[in-house]
Amino acid sequence: MMRSKFDMQLEELKKEMTTMGMLCENAIAKTSHALLTCDVALAKELPELLNQVTQKERDIESICLRLLLHQQPVARDLRTVSSALKMVTDAQRIGTQSADISEIITLGNIRTIPEGLPIRDMATAVIHMVTDSIDAFVKQDGKIAASVIQYDDIVDGFFNSMKAALIAQLKQPGVNGEALVDLLMISKYYERIGDHAANIAGWVLFSLTGDLEIDTAYFEEGGHPSEK
Amino acid sequence: MTKRIFKAICAAALSVFVVTMLLIMGVLYNYFSSVQQSQLKAQTALAVQGVEQQGMAFFDGLPAEHFRITWIAANGQVLYDSVSDSEAMENHLQREEIRQALADGLGESARYSSTLMKQYLYCAQRLSDGTVLRLSISHNTILVLLLGMLQPILIVIGVALVLSFFLASRLSKRIVEPMNKLNLDEPLENEGYDELSPLLRRIYSQQQHLKAQQATLTQKQNQLDAIVGHLEEGMILLDKDCKVITANQAALHLMDVKNSKVAGIPLLSLNRNLELQESVRQALAGESVTKKTTMRGRTIQIHAAAVGQEQELSGVAVVLFDITEAEQAEQRRREFTANVSHELKTPLQSISGYSELMKCGMTRPEDVQPFAQRIYNEAQRLIRLVEDIINLSHLDEGSGYEWKQLDLYAAAQEVLGSLQDIAAEKQVKLECQGSPTMMQAVPELVRGMIYNLCDNAIKYNRPGGTVTLTVTRENGCPLLRVADTGIGIPEEEQDRIFERFYRVDKSRSKEVGGTGLGLSIVKHSALVLGAQIHLDSRLGQGTTITLRFQP
Repeated sequence: MMRSKFDMQLEELKKEMTTMGMLCENAIAKTSHALLTCDVALAKELPELLNQVTQKERDIESICLRLLLHQQPVARDLRTVSSALKMVTDAQRIGTQSADISEIITLGNIRTIPEGLPIRDMATAVIHMVTDSIDAFVKQDGKIAASVIQYDDIVDGFFNSMKAALIAQLKQPGVNGEALVDLLMISKYYERIGDHAANIAGWVLFSLTGDLEIDTAYFEEGGHPSEK
Repeated sequence: MTKRIFKAICAAALSVFVVTMLLIMGVLYNYFSSVQQSQLKAQTALAVQGVEQQGMAFFDGLPAEHFRITWIAANGQVLYDSVSDSEAMENHLQREEIRQALADGLGESARYSSTLMKQYLYCAQRLSDGTVLRLSISHNTILVLLLGMLQPILIVIGVALVLSFFLASRLSKRIVEPMNKLNLDEPLENEGYDELSPLLRRIYSQQQHLKAQQATLTQKQNQLDAIVGHLEEGMILLDKDCKVITANQAALHLMDVKNSKVAGIPLLSLNRNLELQESVRQALAGESVTKKTTMRGRTIQIHAAAVGQEQELSGVAVVLFDITEAEQAEQRRREFTANVSHELKTPLQSISGYSELMKCGMTRPEDVQPFAQRIYNEAQRLIRLVEDIINLSHLDEGSGYEWKQLDLYAAAQEVLGSLQDIAAEKQVKLECQGSPTMMQAVPELVRGMIYNLCDNAIKYNRPGGTVTLTVTRENGCPLLRVADTGIGIPEEEQDRIFERFYRVDKSRSKEVGGTGLGLSIVKHSALVLGAQIHLDSRLGQGTTITLRFQP
């Protein structure tokens, strides 16, 4: 009787996590669309979405704490619950940083995306990472999770080439400096979102294997543990 | 089964055993008792004779083993007893056998000892002197006998139990074995107990019934699957926990789910489209929802409705319509209407403006001629536009054309001839290559196509450029190629140039002229003639359009 209730709560947890993942995916997709089409009106919808993400984070945290207190899970179940607690933080950061990007878009400095910037590819790559990290969680698939962690290098590469391209453009006379600096910040946010997606994938791997190795290796390579 | 048989056998064995024993004991005991009694009587008679003749001396030589002999005086006083001291014994006058003997000469009685363990038989006879001689013998009672036999009885009962258990298990096995071996798939094929045949017949008829029901069910399921499976619209049925009951192939394709076994999986695990989840959530709250969303780059309309009564929802039905084409068509129709009205209005406005000036008499006489020229030009443009639109609507109907034998090369040269003046004006050289190529076609459509293609090639050329027309035959198909050295078409626009009124460069349309319907007429003519259009264009280098006609 107790166990079946426990199972139900775990299922509920998974459902809420997936919903939160869905909201994050939507946030980053909407933001990217708003950025690439310079759609200020769409960017203004983001704070509402962020509210939902934050609300979900609170819900999931309380579910996790209730599970820990009432059921005292062990072994794999404990890993599931504790990694969920860590994952929601990363997911919430994805939501927040999407909203930050939107805020920059609403400033209206970026009227068109200048030619020769890999921002479209970068946005696509980051959306791909976020989607795959949620997929890895939903399907409990270690392979997808590992591929997401590896994909982070590609996004880091995009950030570097974005930076180089922006510096080159800033040197030319008569450029819209404000827009270019905004784009630099946006690409930094994208890079961070990629890191968070990789973190989520790391926690998925942890909940599957109980092995923190991959995650710590990731931290050493230049993740952002300060944001935890 | 074994237990019940065991109980029955046990009960039978034990009851037979008990009854037999009681019977034997009763009969034998009585028999032996009567034998003993008659012996006692005879002994008493002998002893009486002995005592009559020898008196007290008779007792001296008697062995005192079997019998107890008591000699009692007529007043009841014991004169001699072979077991006890006669002095100490009480008066025996009240004893039943003594009283009988004193009265009748012979008396008998039987008494139990105080513990009931023994029965004493007494026989007394009156002597001629009035005294009484009594002989007594004791033997064990039935109870004692039974107690003595307790051990063998217990052994017999034990043996009976073991035997009946053994028999019971053997028997039940023998009875049950053929039943276990019954082939229930073919109930009527079994041999064995006749007693079971009614049961087997009933099993058979129920099996037939089940089979029929199952067949109906499968058939209905298959029908439903076939109907739902071949729907172009996505269909998803969810239970009230949002888990998938069924989803057809179209729905899985739209949701980008590769796994075809989705029953029992939460919808959220399959697809994380916000609008879809929101629709399902609202449908579960009892609303009927219609939403638009994008899935895999397609525009999808979602209909979600609750299934079941208001109080007890049994699930949600979701239908997904792919409305991408409809959406695009709607978009194009709107653009077309806007374009037509715009294109019609522009020349009319000029005509109206110039004629108003002339009407008011505000024009100098020398201006009248150029004004009239402009009004005429605009009117011509209007006529061309309306003609093109009429042509297009004819082409849309796509029937009523007369197919004839036609020389493509001759037609091309003819058209080029009519375009010579415009080309010269634009400083564009016209070239025609190839040889006479006969084909079946609708001449006016072919000429229209060549005219429009060449007209565009000249219009969007640079001064000093060339337009090359090539007529060949490839794999039996007549081929017409129009190549220019003009401005070219950007790659992302290449899909759209055949749309009505679509212009790559929106700002220059006035200056270049034309109605914006030329390529659209080409496309629709090609459709009617069954020809294929191939576009190859590089920005700044020129455009080549190839028409491949049917052989």
